[in-house]
Amino acid sequence: MLSEMGMSSIDELFSDIPADIRRDTPLPLRGPQSEEEIWADAQRLLGANVSLDDRPSFLAAGLARNFVPTMVGMLATRGEFLTSYTPYQPEVSQGMLQAMWEFQTMVSELVGLPVANVSMYDASTAAAEAITCAVRVHRRKSSQKNVVYVSMFVPPQRFEVIRNYTQGSGLEIRILEHLEDGHIDMNSAAEAAGCCAVYVEQPSAFGILDPGLMDLKEVIGEETALIVGVDAVSLGIVEPPGSWGADIVVGEGQPFGIGPTAGGPIYGIFACGEGYTRQMPGRIVGLTKDVDGKRAFTLTLSTREQHIRRHRATSNICSNETLIALMGAMHMALLGPRGIERLALRVASATEATKRAVASIDGIELVDPRACNFREFAVKLPGEASDALAYLDANGVLGGFDLGVWWEGMSTCLLIGADERTSESDIEALTAGLSSWLEGAGS
Amino acid sequence: MSDLFAFNGAEGAGWSQPPPSLGVDESWSTVPESLRRASPPGWPRASEPELVRHYTWLSRRNFGIDTGFYPLGSCTMKHNPRLNERIVQLPGIDRIHPLQPEHQIQGLLAIFFEMQEMLAICSGMDEVTLQPVAGAQGEFTAMRCIQEYHRSIGQGHRDKVIVPDSAHGTNPASAAMCGYDIIEIPSAVDGRLDLAALEEAVGDDTAAMMITNPSTLGVFEPDISRAAEMVHTAGGQMYYDGANFNAILGKTDPGRMGFDAVHYNLHKTFSQPHGGGGPGSGPIGVKSHLATFLPSPIANRRERVEDDPKGVGDGYWYVWKEVGESSIGKVQQWHGNSGAVVRAWAFYRRYGRELERMSEHAVLNANYLRHRIMNPDSDTAARMHAMPLDGAPAEVVKHEFTLSLSALKDAVGITGRDVAKRLLDYGVMAPTLYFPMIVPECLMIEPTETESKEVMDRFAADFHTILGEDPEIVTTAPHSTEVRRVDEVWAARNLVLRHPGPE
Repeated sequence: MLSEMGMSSIDELFSDIPADIRRDTPLPLRGPQSEEEIWADAQRLLGANVSLDDRPSFLAAGLARNFVPTMVGMLATRGEFLTSYTPYQPEVSQGMLQAMWEFQTMVSELVGLPVANVSMYDASTAAAEAITCAVRVHRRKSSQKNVVYVSMFVPPQRFEVIRNYTQGSGLEIRILEHLEDGHIDMNSAAEAAGCCAVYVEQPSAFGILDPGLMDLKEVIGEETALIVGVDAVSLGIVEPPGSWGADIVVGEGQPFGIGPTAGGPIYGIFACGEGYTRQMPGRIVGLTKDVDGKRAFTLTLSTREQHIRRHRATSNICSNETLIALMGAMHMALLGPRGIERLALRVASATEATKRAVASIDGIELVDPRACNFREFAVKLPGEASDALAYLDANGVLGGFDLGVWWEGMSTCLLIGADERTSESDIEALTAGLSSWLEGAGS
Repeated sequence: MSDLFAFNGAEGAGWSQPPPSLGVDESWSTVPESLRRASPPGWPRASEPELVRHYTWLSRRNFGIDTGFYPLGSCTMKHNPRLNERIVQLPGIDRIHPLQPEHQIQGLLAIFFEMQEMLAICSGMDEVTLQPVAGAQGEFTAMRCIQEYHRSIGQGHRDKVIVPDSAHGTNPASAAMCGYDIIEIPSAVDGRLDLAALEEAVGDDTAAMMITNPSTLGVFEPDISRAAEMVHTAGGQMYYDGANFNAILGKTDPGRMGFDAVHYNLHKTFSQPHGGGGPGSGPIGVKSHLATFLPSPIANRRERVEDDPKGVGDGYWYVWKEVGESSIGKVQQWHGNSGAVVRAWAFYRRYGRELERMSEHAVLNANYLRHRIMNPDSDTAARMHAMPLDGAPAEVVKHEFTLSLSALKDAVGITGRDVAKRLLDYGVMAPTLYFPMIVPECLMIEPTETESKEVMDRFAADFHTILGEDPEIVTTAPHSTEVRRVDEVWAARNLVLRHPGPE
């Protein structure tokens, strides 16, 4: 090949790099490995990790220890899906385009809003970009310009993402207060009326389902966007926010399609009312036809996007999480309407059973004793949560999450998560562990 | 035609789950009455065999690298080794929660640490975070670090970011999301960075310049060090868009060129599969003065001491390091796309210190294909309506090159889009079309290092054939695809963004 180009060495191809910035020594890295050596190292290294499936686990905190049907991984990794790029050439990308249009439809049905995009990076960036999207729509008419309200019980890491994504547009983020019982403070909500957007979560970071949220849209008014972050699985049994006034619904898609994967790749769900479509971030697939009038699909509304609109784009998002959304679509399609209901009931049931068992231990109190919970609940311990977790860990139980990491003053509170796979023996292991920790703590 | 919402038979495959442990009625009672869902979502009711066929049918209507040559410029569509997919199915990554205690994720931390070190070495940077999950998010993260850096030294007034007009669209979009104003500077007539235009643009308000090198024309910017000096003298920072890193790995690095921050596209250079548009992974590397602004946490290690548990057996104990008070905070809720990092780690291990070979072969392939296309034999040349023109006058290109088909358009009315669509009939993916915008009727071609000489010879021959075909055939292409040319205007006007439902 070189000689055909009239060259004698590969170095000639790099002669355009000025000598003073050339690297003239080899990269100080390890030597190359064969496939089987890499596999052996991967097994050794990743085998040193403790899988959630190895022990009773009550760690959720926004992700789900789910079961993904076998079909999903097998079909999503077909090379035609796995190794394709963004479907910029619709004529040879109908498969992924149709799958994403179907994904949009299933998300739309799940949350009760007409429009959904092809995915965001995760729940946190979906929430952050929902806020900037809502501000673009409402900025002009709002009476509290550039003000958004965010629930005080959004997990701090998610809040940090929201802050990063909103600080550039000069927004002021105010805190929407919750009452002692964990429910939203409607007086605080009334102050939010007329701002650009209100962001709340249902269930909250403590797993609390708050029926009061259903009145929120009426309180904040038409000119303020109601953005609701959801546990996507809960919507199998919980009324979708779209039917109680939400303008944008976001959430973590991970429970559908992929394991927790150390936090990624996962995907964010983003759905909205029609008034927001043209200000949405991310890719959208639309139905159309080809020159013969045959049904076809294509990416649409690209004029919102960075490759066309550059610095005036609605978002900088380019690569998204399409393959994971495809896995989510397959999982949703396998569940069907009865399957999602049953899945949600199983999580609700496991949450309730775990809550009852833990709350019955002398010395442990529920933080919100009258609340209804989905997937998670918080308990107050007579000692440090970190101490309890270390004790449980030593006894082979992943006991949950230390809320003191998130919120000052909550270091004795433990966030316990259940899921469809939580078994009676898991609950027994947790309660036995907590009981014996308490005995030790008391002695 | 297979329609997901036409499956409406029985209960659906998902019905086959254990019942809720407390029973159905009691489980429902855990939801406040007013909040109970009134009717289920209108999802399909399909069996597993129906869905296996549906998704297999869809996959066969989709073109990937596995289907054929994918010379999509700027996207680095290289082969995705299957070992990497097998690795990420191990429970030690798939079934890991990012908030598990450190002693339960020593292997993950070890891989993170190794990748941080490797990326820092390859780019000439001091500290790396793997948290950003896409190239654009890497850009955003780095620009946020630069923003906070300037604020910390009393330079918060710097509100302008300079980008060349040939830059990827994400550069100005990411900077704008941070709140910066964008100054777009025109390229010189040869497509290269215009130092005079840069001189005019820099000043006391310059926060940074964002640029990729080699440029989107596939040409190495010879004046890059001078540009860095100009921006630094003005008090600005230099940001390297790593989309084109595949061209220079081991040959030079952004640190040597004078950059302060860089992002890497693990889904380009390190073969995380593109998956129809994602997931990606966009780690960033920075010089030490920006390191205290990075998102937390970063993997770190210390010598293993006696009390430590076993670890991964390399004598180290791995930990998460918090960046501290001045960190910009998180850009993704967890630790980034760990699965992509693990795949990229497996890819890197295949090359090790010989990563340089990867870039050599990528550049060799691009130059060879360009040579083949631009030097047809006389018979072939005589059959073509017009020769393509080089997008940039350069002796050698790097990993990609651009062609202008404006002469063809002038001669017989065949556009770049027509040629791109016609290539689909020949069983290859179309190159990147109409980018960069500074080249008229532009096709941008990147063969990557994993294609053989035979594949490129075939592509060049097909390309030449198309340039001599009956314009009627080319302008109405494609003809042999699942659907023919798609009406994008109809889609945008009618906005049918979801299935109307089975009824």
